[in-house]
Amino acid sequence: MIWGSWLCLLSPLAGVLAITLAGTAISRRTAGVLATLSTTIAFGGAVWAFVDLVGRSGAERSRLDTSWTWLGADGLHFGLSILVDPLSVFMMLVVSGVGSLIVGYSIGYMDGDDEERRYFAYMALFVFSMLLLVQGGNLLLLLVGWGLVGLSSYLLIGFHQERPSAIAAAKKAFIMNAFGDATFALALFLLILHAKSIGFGALGEVHGTTANLVALGLLGGAVAKSAQLPLHTWLPDAMEGPTPVSALIHAATMVTAGVYLVVRCHEVFELAPKIEDLAAILGALTLLMAGLIALVQTDIKRVIAYSTMSQIGYMFLGAGLGAYANGMFHLMTHAFFKALLFLAAGIVIHALAGEQDMRNMGGLRRLMPATYWFFSIGALALVGLPPFAGFFSKDSLLAATLDGGWLGWLLWSAGIVGTFLTGLYTYRMLFLVFHGDLSPYAREHHHTHHGKEGPATMVWPVAVLAVLSLVGGWIQFAPFWTPVSDFLGDVAEPLVEAHGWQELLSSVLAPVVGLLGVGLAWWLYGARRVAVPRLGFAQRVLERKLYWDELYDWVFYRPAAFVSRAWLRWIERPVIGGSAVGLALGARESGELVSETQTGYLRTYALALAAGLAVLVVVFISVK
Amino acid sequence: MGNVVVWIVWLAAAFGCLGSGLAVVSFQNPFYSALALIGNLGSLAVLYLLLSAEFVAAAQVLVYAGAVMVMFLFVIAYLGGEADAPWAGGPSWQVLAAVCAAAAILTEIVVAIGQAAGGRLTHEAELNRGFGSPAAIGRLFLTDHLLAFEVTSIVLLAAAVGGVILGHHSRVDEERRARA
Amino acid sequence: MLGPDVTWYLSVSAILFSIGALGVLLRRSPLIVLLSLEIMLNSCNLALIAFSRRNGESAGQVFAIAVMAVAASEVVVGLGLIVAMSRRKLPLDVDRLTTLRG
Repeated sequence: MIWGSWLCLLSPLAGVLAITLAGTAISRRTAGVLATLSTTIAFGGAVWAFVDLVGRSGAERSRLDTSWTWLGADGLHFGLSILVDPLSVFMMLVVSGVGSLIVGYSIGYMDGDDEERRYFAYMALFVFSMLLLVQGGNLLLLLVGWGLVGLSSYLLIGFHQERPSAIAAAKKAFIMNAFGDATFALALFLLILHAKSIGFGALGEVHGTTANLVALGLLGGAVAKSAQLPLHTWLPDAMEGPTPVSALIHAATMVTAGVYLVVRCHEVFELAPKIEDLAAILGALTLLMAGLIALVQTDIKRVIAYSTMSQIGYMFLGAGLGAYANGMFHLMTHAFFKALLFLAAGIVIHALAGEQDMRNMGGLRRLMPATYWFFSIGALALVGLPPFAGFFSKDSLLAATLDGGWLGWLLWSAGIVGTFLTGLYTYRMLFLVFHGDLSPYAREHHHTHHGKEGPATMVWPVAVLAVLSLVGGWIQFAPFWTPVSDFLGDVAEPLVEAHGWQELLSSVLAPVVGLLGVGLAWWLYGARRVAVPRLGFAQRVLERKLYWDELYDWVFYRPAAFVSRAWLRWIERPVIGGSAVGLALGARESGELVSETQTGYLRTYALALAAGLAVLVVVFISVK
Repeated sequence: MGNVVVWIVWLAAAFGCLGSGLAVVSFQNPFYSALALIGNLGSLAVLYLLLSAEFVAAAQVLVYAGAVMVMFLFVIAYLGGEADAPWAGGPSWQVLAAVCAAAAILTEIVVAIGQAAGGRLTHEAELNRGFGSPAAIGRLFLTDHLLAFEVTSIVLLAAAVGGVILGHHSRVDEERRARA
Repeated sequence: MLGPDVTWYLSVSAILFSIGALGVLLRRSPLIVLLSLEIMLNSCNLALIAFSRRNGESAGQVFAIAVMAVAASEVVVGLGLIVAMSRRKLPLDVDRLTTLRG
């Protein structure tokens, strides 16, 4: 179990180092193969750990392995330790499994790019960082992984360095994440102060206000990393990165790290119930808001991005109310179908030579049938219709929330509305892209890859993900068969569990509502029977993403820019620059002054001698 | 009676000394300055005689006025000393500063000697017969001050060598000049 | 002692010294500077002789003769320098010789 975990963690690190050190000595394709190999080996390690874990039971299932004591000070010891327990093995499987599929896909997608090696190095770095995050044996190591993941995200969003929009998006993502990192760090400081340790056990030892503050700090970090309200504005802009990056980082893994954090630190959240409720409320608000904004997006990747934001809202909703295992299960299935959607969209984008605007697409069903079917599977899973994966995870999550008192009921209804919106925007996207007549743009620019829809390295991972989106949900069918909940239950006991009729109600209502959304989408976009209603004001507000970017611009950016300009003008230039310049000028001037004594005139030197003599005589006379 | 004569001689010599000193410093023509210096040296010799230093007086006239000044006159004649504005040039504050410095030195000398010596300067010692004679000086040079004597001779040698080197014509220069 | 006592001689010496100093500080021709230097040296000699008379010691006179010898050597070297300067067509003006100017 331990060996498998270490292999899982260190294999991608070896991949990064190999690609970086080899530099241009290896071909670009070799770099891709190396990266894929390293992540696949990581997956193998994860499977090994999983198999071994399943063979044990109870307390044996959790092991903290410290390879090296990193810091020891004043009773506080941090080690380089990994924690292997059901939750971390679960995440390891998801991260390394989906990760290796996506990295393999990238070989085809990034083929021909000049900087392929850098890309694959960054991807391997990301996988390593994410694995470090989920395997971290104490909060400090988790924070290290957290930060590295943020770094990899920055590097990969800004991968196309020549595009100013990409650089700006990378900066935005990093800065917003830095805000979350800061609150996370503050929570850690409080924890050190009060519990004298930052192992996961310390989370149970704080109470009252301290617990609230610690939980709030951790929530801040989670909200930033998972792009929930109010720190969500970076995620749509992050679509500037290449599509596989969007799939891996901004759909399947990194943005789910916030959910993982909440579940891992559930002890402190349970000690701060108000904060936990806050998490659930934020999740619900986000899922509604993101669903609405997704209705008016024209860029295919942005629709899927907002969909991600919405689905993570569901996970936060679940984890916030205490349905930990449900939330994690939805995380897993979401990873499958969201990655599938992104990668399938990537095939479309690739075939249309980089076009992402859905208004230029249409009727691609005839040109790319296989992609169409894969995309549909992903869409059906997303909406949550049986027998696809999304049904089993999302609907049981919603059912569990019904057990959470009046707040649970309220948020449940938000979740149901969200299901309607999900159906609507997902199928809007599908109908716009694949149905209808072949758009003139598509006619002009569509090209096949040697007669096939895309290269094999791109199609096979998509196919695998499609299969997973179909069958992946079948490992849990609450309340009849719950291996996942049992597996994770040891780590995080759920606070809420659906009882009999709640489960039935939710599981029937949610898919029905989803179908209603699909139906409306068909009416508006598929059959084109009714013109899309133009609700001017609402449309404008949604298109401006509810003006969040403008709000942040006014509240944070403009004052900061003003203050820094003022400081530059009034303090930095005159005082700091001036004093440095002043020192130099002063030195030079005093030097010039002194050099005036070197007149070169003999007479002046003689005069100096005479004057000196006069002075010395006085001194000798007066000082006996 | 003898006192009055001595006083008169003293006054004449002293004024001659100071006057010629001023003349050296203020004449434009270096030739006249050199001649004034000869006068200065002569007056000094008289003063030495009044102080019973006969040998030094003789040496002064022979060496200084006779040899050193002749050398000066030769060089001035060779160079053809120009008459130029003697006080001009240099930084504007030079003159004032120089005068001040000289005045300061004068004052200080007076003060220093006055303070150190007090009233004791007026009591001169009794002289023995041979004071200031060549025999006395010679005996001192060969006994108490032998080292000074020898070192002085080395200094003279060094000066002679230096003079020769400074005056040496470089043969290459000569040939180059002859060919040109 | 007949005539003025030692203090008078010493005053003459002091005044002569200042006159010599003025000459060194104010004249431009190196020749005149050398001459002024001679005046200063001679004033020192006068002081030495005066003190020797006051104390009855002949050591002052011996010292004076040594000074004379050294002054003569210095004049030799100085004049040699001046002749060398004029041979190399350098201006005989201390204000124009400013190579040491910083």
